[in-house]
Amino acid sequence: MLSTREIKQRIRSISSIKQITRAMEMVAASRLKKVESRVVASRAYTERMHMVLNHLVSTLEKAHPWFAEKGQEVSVIKAILITGDKGLCGAYNNNIIQKLVRFMKAQSDKKVKLILIGKKGYQYLSKGIYAPAIEEYIPESVEKLGYSRVQAIVAQLINGYDSNAFGELHIFYTKFHTVMQSFPTSMRLLPIEKDIFESKEKSGGEYIFEPSAEQIINHLFPKFIETRLYQCILESLTSEYAARRVAMIAATENAGEMIEELTSTYNKARQEAITKELLEVISGAEALVR
Amino acid sequence: MAKTFKFEIVTPEKVVYSNPVQSITAVGTEGAFGILADHAPLITELQTSVLVVTDTNNKSIRSALDGGFLEVMANNVIVLTDSCVMEGEVDVEKMRAEKESAEKALAMGGTTEVKEKAQAALKRANVWLSLANK
Repeated sequence: MLSTREIKQRIRSISSIKQITRAMEMVAASRLKKVESRVVASRAYTERMHMVLNHLVSTLEKAHPWFAEKGQEVSVIKAILITGDKGLCGAYNNNIIQKLVRFMKAQSDKKVKLILIGKKGYQYLSKGIYAPAIEEYIPESVEKLGYSRVQAIVAQLINGYDSNAFGELHIFYTKFHTVMQSFPTSMRLLPIEKDIFESKEKSGGEYIFEPSAEQIINHLFPKFIETRLYQCILESLTSEYAARRVAMIAATENAGEMIEELTSTYNKARQEAITKELLEVISGAEALVR
Repeated sequence: MAKTFKFEIVTPEKVVYSNPVQSITAVGTEGAFGILADHAPLITELQTSVLVVTDTNNKSIRSALDGGFLEVMANNVIVLTDSCVMEGEVDVEKMRAEKESAEKALAMGGTTEVKEKAQAALKRANVWLSLANK
């Protein structure tokens, strides 16, 4: 049995941990709010862009080369992995990394090259057997990754794709659903999946294109990839903060429970010490009487 | 009052402008054009340029766009652009600095890619500054 002094010390250290986890929870909550507003803004852009592309693709006479499935010819696949920069967010980082690892195992006959966004993914993968697959690590923190940086990354990727350096481009990110729920997700960015442009409502009337529809789509498609990547980054960031918030709430609760338990052990120990002392006094007194 | 239509300028970072308007004047890759209500469906690419909107109070609102696309569809006009500032929101100091560094980069020369980038930056800075000085 621990002495009362030791128990007191443990209670003190756990309450300071509790304070820290509570602070982290509040930080995560405020960041979550900030990034959520960015997601909403970027969603507006993505939606409009999708709408315009829907109209464009449905009028296109011949399919854009980016729709072409390369099938069996693909020998090199590029994959972008988005993780967080920090831990303490439950299984957030691990889930998406495991999804990527499973994908790489399934594609063992092909060469997979990785582009990593987020420090945690890099820390994990650079130590394992997949280290040689890492082609690029984007050192900026995920939070600070602005749209112009995403543009530069995408421009480089598109160059590689057009010169056949790789045949497919996949992205692994965490799709945000609610604060309690988010899903590790993979998506193919290139070639573009045709059915995402299945326009339900036929657009009324013929469009005028200035310059030609082909030229417009050649400029719009890179933007489309950019916005999709940007959106994925923001979704992952939202999921990360949500996961951290949930993890920290749980940690704070656990700390509270532990403090309660320790307090009751402390009281019991104190009570026992008093009883023991009393017994000693009484038996001492009795010995004197005899 | 002339007939109005819905107009939006959207960037990846935010919805910059969203209001009913009377007319728009923009500069496309093929030249300047105007749009009034009931325009035929159109999709066009825009230059880095100043876009002028006449709102429902007959007030002209100017904004600078960094390229982008414009779609007209059933009295809904959308501009998608990388970045956009409204008149009076231009950071003149920053733009001057950007202009200078772009000019320097151009004078230094280099690969065509570098030059193209610098040229684009210079054009952007010039358009932004022209919006500030009127």
